Amino acid sequence: MSASKPDYYAVLGVFRDATQEEIKRAYLEAAQRLHPDKNVAAGETELFLGAQQAYEVLSNPKRRSQYDATLPPEVEVNKDIKHELHFSRPNLVKLGEDQLVYVLLEVAPRDETTENIAAPPLNLCLVLDRSTSMQGEKLDILKATAIQLLRSLRPQDVLSIVAFSDRAEVVVPASISLDKKKQEGRIQMMQASGATEIFNGLDAGLKEIRRTLDPSRVNHIILLTDGQTYGDEQACLQLAEQAAAQNVGITGMGIGHEWNDIFLDALAGKTGGSSAYISKPKDIERLLVEKFQALVSTYADDVLLEYKEQDDVKINYVFRLQPDAGPIEVGSPMRLGPILRDVHLQVLIELVVKPEALNGDNATILNGFLKTSIAARPMPVPPIRLHLTREVHQTPSSDPPPTRILSALSRLTLYRMQERAQVAVDAGQFEVAVRHLQNLATHLLSQGEHSLAKTALFEAENLERMHAWSASGNKDIKYSTRALLLGGGKEKK
Amino acid sequence: MIVCSNCKHGNMAGAMFCAECGAQLVGKDALTTQNISTDKFKKVTNIPADDMYQPFDGSDAWGSLHLLDTGQVLPLSSRNEFTMGRISEGQPIMPDIDLSPYQAYAAGVSRLHAVIRRDGGRLIFMDLGSSNGTYINGKRLLPNVEQSLSHGDVVALGKLKMQILLKRNE
Repeated sequence: MSASKPDYYAVLGVFRDATQEEIKRAYLEAAQRLHPDKNVAAGETELFLGAQQAYEVLSNPKRRSQYDATLPPEVEVNKDIKHELHFSRPNLVKLGEDQLVYVLLEVAPRDETTENIAAPPLNLCLVLDRSTSMQGEKLDILKATAIQLLRSLRPQDVLSIVAFSDRAEVVVPASISLDKKKQEGRIQMMQASGATEIFNGLDAGLKEIRRTLDPSRVNHIILLTDGQTYGDEQACLQLAEQAAAQNVGITGMGIGHEWNDIFLDALAGKTGGSSAYISKPKDIERLLVEKFQALVSTYADDVLLEYKEQDDVKINYVFRLQPDAGPIEVGSPMRLGPILRDVHLQVLIELVVKPEALNGDNATILNGFLKTSIAARPMPVPPIRLHLTREVHQTPSSDPPPTRILSALSRLTLYRMQERAQVAVDAGQFEVAVRHLQNLATHLLSQGEHSLAKTALFEAENLERMHAWSASGNKDIKYSTRALLLGGGKEKK
Repeated sequence: MIVCSNCKHGNMAGAMFCAECGAQLVGKDALTTQNISTDKFKKVTNIPADDMYQPFDGSDAWGSLHLLDTGQVLPLSSRNEFTMGRISEGQPIMPDIDLSPYQAYAAGVSRLHAVIRRDGGRLIFMDLGSSNGTYINGKRLLPNVEQSLSHGDVVALGKLKMQILLKRNE
């Protein structure tokens, strides 16, 4: 390819074998993002014209084939993102029954690119619960932390704050130039009253985000609540889907033990985010500041895994090990979450391979691609093809499983035992739940997690006698076992 | 299918950890505490203490543990508090009394199972949150709650039974 001629496929972010429909869709997306009416940043008009030119060539089959003839063979090297795959076993075994295989997917920025790309500006909205139960220490710390975040903003960042109870009000509207003293005063005025209705807060928060919505920013909502919401869960989840479609991430934080962790996980999961548990009010500050720093160090804020569903291989379970440990909703596309500059994205996938998949010498276990968008750059990133295959052998390999997968799974197993106990409790099978918790305690003890083991045993006892969790038990166990997974990620470094 | 050696649960081929009990199925064979059923746990009838009372070595011992299954006697001396359990690889905290030579693994003894302590004239026993429980004369203890012991009591760590023998002149 001559230097003067741009790679039209890369400009639109599509593969060379893209269908006309895919090309059209990519062009429309690019046009929306780069349209001169919306973008005033230097150089974006040129990008827009480039996308237009690419579309003109590629949308015309005749011109496209002429253009294709001038291209060198496609070499799949992504300049910005690298990925690694680790399999739990080197090959599959010809068996008449279902078998499991685990894949650890790691996605990271290419080292040389992080320096050239500036940290993206933030468009952050804090959606804060100010219902009656927040009164006192919780709200005081929350206010102090919000003011601290406000003061630590860089000039290019936007922070808006919404307070909600059964209605929502915008405390700090989203705007670029902040009169910080005035905003601090408004945060101080927040008072606790009313019930918890998350939908109102989330809706107002999303509206604020949309006022300064910009693909080159990290657009994110942090929802902080200490209560359950009643009746509006479905509406909230729909809102989260709309947010995800606009690349707005959501993080849920629950204080105390009265909130619904499953709901908050699902809500954040829709956008590739996760939920966190704050057991003591004094942790509010630490967790919020940590989250804030993670957002500032975002490299790519949305990684999507799109795949073709296969009849003979099922994705059974997907879990993000880092940056924020948490389950990922299975389906295509899957939102895997952000890639931070210093923390790679690690996702563990459990696949069930049916006997029908083993007909040839090679079995395809996953066919799809990874799509990322790098916040600080308006150019689309070429997708990465993922075509995962394993050879089919008659006998199992005697190689020991890779230690990375083994150690990740040993911790994930603990988390899943907790999940199973939860499922059993929900189904009223208390004996099963007790057994799971006792097993969990054994493993925790053997890994030196004594206090957590005690909590698990205490809960087992509680379930046995009262047929219910203690006030904070299930959340303590759930989020502590999740935290163990994070420990695993750090250990590697 | 892989049958878990720990709980007999049938796992799918390729599984690395048992879906039921979490035991590791492949790779390095680390031992995990076995889970045993305590449903059929019968109260151990009190064996008359006098018949069982054997002299033991070490005149400074203040008491001893008589392992009922094997007949061995473990004297307790030199300190006032002993943790009991079994030692296995890669364990961060070691018990003072390692019961692994006495089939502790098969009996369901946790790595850190219980503690026995002398407090003045009293003898105190406490379960440390073990998986298979600690029993005094057939009665299960709440974890981390102290219980006093007297001479002749039969305690069980999981299924490993032992009788507490106290030196009389104390």
